Amino acid sequence: MTVIEINKQLIKKFPDEMIKTIKDDGNELYVEINSDKIREFSGYINQEMGYSLIAMFANDETPLIGKYAIYYVFADRVSGVLLTVKTAIEPQQMTFKSIARKVHAAARYEREIKDLFGLNPVGHPNPKRLVFHSNWPRDTFPLRKAYDLKQQPEFANEKINFTKVISEGVYEIPVGPVHAGIIEPGHFRFSVAGEPIINLEAQLYFVHKGIEKMCEGESIEKGLFVAERISGDESFTNSYSYCQAIEKIAGVKIPERAEYIRVIFAELERLTSHLGDLGGICLDVAYGFAAYQFRMMRGWVYAIADELCGMRFLRGVNRLGGVRKDFVAGKEASLIGQLKKIRSELEETETIIKSNSLFIDRVENTGILSARIAADLNAVGPPARAVGIGWDVRKSFPNSAYNQLIFAIPEHYNGDVNCRMNVKIEECYQAIDLMLAAIDSMPGGSIREAIITVKPYQFAFGITEAPRGENIHWVMTGENNTIYRYKIRTPSFCNWPVLCHAVKGNLVPDFPLINKSFNLSYAGNDL
Amino acid sequence: MSDMILFFIVQTGFVILAAPLVNGIIKKIKALTQKRTGAPLLQMYYDLFKLFKKTSVVSDVSSWIFRVTPYIVLATAVAAALIVPVTTLIKPVWNSGDVILLVYILALGRFFMMLAALDTGSTFGGMGASREAMISALIEPSIMVSLLTIGLIAKSTSVFEMMTFMQTVHNPLIHPVYLMIFFALVIIIMAETARIPVDDPSTHLELTMVHEAMLLEYSGRSLALMELGAAIKQLVFITLLVNLFLPHDQLLGISGITAIGISLLIYLGKVVATAVLIAIVEVSTVKLRLFSIPNLAALSFILSFIGFLQFFVFGG
Repeated sequence: MTVIEINKQLIKKFPDEMIKTIKDDGNELYVEINSDKIREFSGYINQEMGYSLIAMFANDETPLIGKYAIYYVFADRVSGVLLTVKTAIEPQQMTFKSIARKVHAAARYEREIKDLFGLNPVGHPNPKRLVFHSNWPRDTFPLRKAYDLKQQPEFANEKINFTKVISEGVYEIPVGPVHAGIIEPGHFRFSVAGEPIINLEAQLYFVHKGIEKMCEGESIEKGLFVAERISGDESFTNSYSYCQAIEKIAGVKIPERAEYIRVIFAELERLTSHLGDLGGICLDVAYGFAAYQFRMMRGWVYAIADELCGMRFLRGVNRLGGVRKDFVAGKEASLIGQLKKIRSELEETETIIKSNSLFIDRVENTGILSARIAADLNAVGPPARAVGIGWDVRKSFPNSAYNQLIFAIPEHYNGDVNCRMNVKIEECYQAIDLMLAAIDSMPGGSIREAIITVKPYQFAFGITEAPRGENIHWVMTGENNTIYRYKIRTPSFCNWPVLCHAVKGNLVPDFPLINKSFNLSYAGNDL
Repeated sequence: MSDMILFFIVQTGFVILAAPLVNGIIKKIKALTQKRTGAPLLQMYYDLFKLFKKTSVVSDVSSWIFRVTPYIVLATAVAAALIVPVTTLIKPVWNSGDVILLVYILALGRFFMMLAALDTGSTFGGMGASREAMISALIEPSIMVSLLTIGLIAKSTSVFEMMTFMQTVHNPLIHPVYLMIFFALVIIIMAETARIPVDDPSTHLELTMVHEAMLLEYSGRSLALMELGAAIKQLVFITLLVNLFLPHDQLLGISGITAIGISLLIYLGKVVATAVLIAIVEVSTVKLRLFSIPNLAALSFILSFIGFLQFFVFGG
């Protein structure tokens, strides 16, 4: 179905509620509807049309239209259509209808909006605070334009309430936010009956930095600088998404060679991330030999990154409108040699670990995620592909050189640690093959299209497939090439609640293993 | 009298000094299989020396149990070391070194260790204590059956008598009874010393820990005592294994102080070989799922029980 047909269908179904079609370009459709009808409307799109809610965010548009706006982003990943529904909220009203009971994936977004904007979701099943902890005052909402970033809010000393499981023999295990390993902060509250886990609640946002607020009013170049630093191991994919959004706003088509270079770096980052995860999975079951094999290979990938761009974590590669320089020219032969070396080492290690029956026993049937929960909560990335939800941005929204490269999405169906591990192993091979294919078919030419000015109050999405899944950035420009609103929805935001479901019924000592198989980012979630 | 002094020096001094080396060897071998250089062989000595110089931090809410436990753990380990002779060439002065005493003196140390882990009320101590209680209860029948089967053959429960008897058995490992018990004892050692199929000594993941979780609250001198106690206990079990199943003292055919010296050297060689064996088991297996440990314990028990039954079929 094309975007125009979808628009016609919606107007036919909701003749009165549809206020206007804001914009339809290519595969994106923006409609504005009456905020009273959002529940029916989103229910129809989600359940009848089969679109998933992939992002939802608010925007303080009081300086522009005197109202707050909430954007609901639905996607049909089969046809690659993005349908964004906008509703306007009157400032004196400060409430909106919650759609969480109809569309489960909305629950966390609505809590986020409540914390950051002070807009109350009416009818939300669990309107607990999400972003802010008990020390943040309840009447301070930083993403409103009136909030000054420099002000220091008062300390509010409230207590954190965790969901209690009350029964004989059930006790709580508090873990974190400071952990024994060198990892990011997060508090996990397990309710357990002996060893089996009954419930897990994760308290995140210990590293909430206010990135979205910080970018408002800054220049679009500064935004790129910040995007690269959102999360240490996702530098490239975040800057990639951001650049795509700005390039779309500016109406610039980047040179084909730059697109291929971006593909190489995106796959390099995926390879690093997956090798790290595989090593982590092995280390968590005390399989030291395999863990060090994967670490060694990851070291080789870092060395490639260092050779290509002088930065192992791939910062400073992207520029608005292309890439900083031609990183690949003249290094093709060395790159191909190193990738083939990693490939053969990976094949050998895979054979060894898969023939170790004790290891397979640990990962099989551990942390099973049901396909229903994954679909309802909009799980993304390898965990979704491990339950047979074969979405991949590179196939669904191929707005880079990916549509010229041939690859298949790995699919597994059991949803356990073993399946997630297999998805990651297959994606490692795929990443190497994609890089080799990209080097092979890379056209010549320039590498950057200059972006000098962008029009004010324009907006666009940038979507890329991060190693952890779908990475969505939405940028609205302001006056003088600045950012008016920058919304970042990383894959970790979607997958954290999914993890909490996947661990239920497992043993406490299996949690680190399940957690590692998801490998979620704290910095990428807390923003 | 001189015999007694010699016995004390060899049993305590020698065992205490050699115990940390076993950990060093295991770690080194593991590092080499992972293409790492690894820490020096003597690293644990440096660590203990450093820890002994440091003060301990003790939680305000803990009781006297927390403070005395490190001493009890070390004392029980040293007492166990006195029961298990490193060489049969020095005769102990008294004859109270009984296998039942050995098993339960170590259980006493463990009991206090579990109490101390619960004492501070920290998250992981309780988990570690409950898992330790589960594992030790599962492995205890197999220790008793395997050691008492040898006692039955040797017609004595004294460890010294048992070892002396085993000196007369020609090549025990080709005998079905001893072979079964040997393998049962290898599994027991892996479980008792918190090695990989059962526990991971090098993990940083508190949620998966067993033995390490109980030590988390300890620091400084107390930690050093606990670590040393665990290392001595490990060496006691290895001594039990090598001196029962790989006897060598009779082969020397000489006596006197030279013989003791040579015997100790051969003993050390066998300890090193066992450490290598443990390291190989550690690198080639992965940690079992916690609820699969009963299967491993059952395997150990069945092996020892088959050994016990075979005694009636084949004789000692």
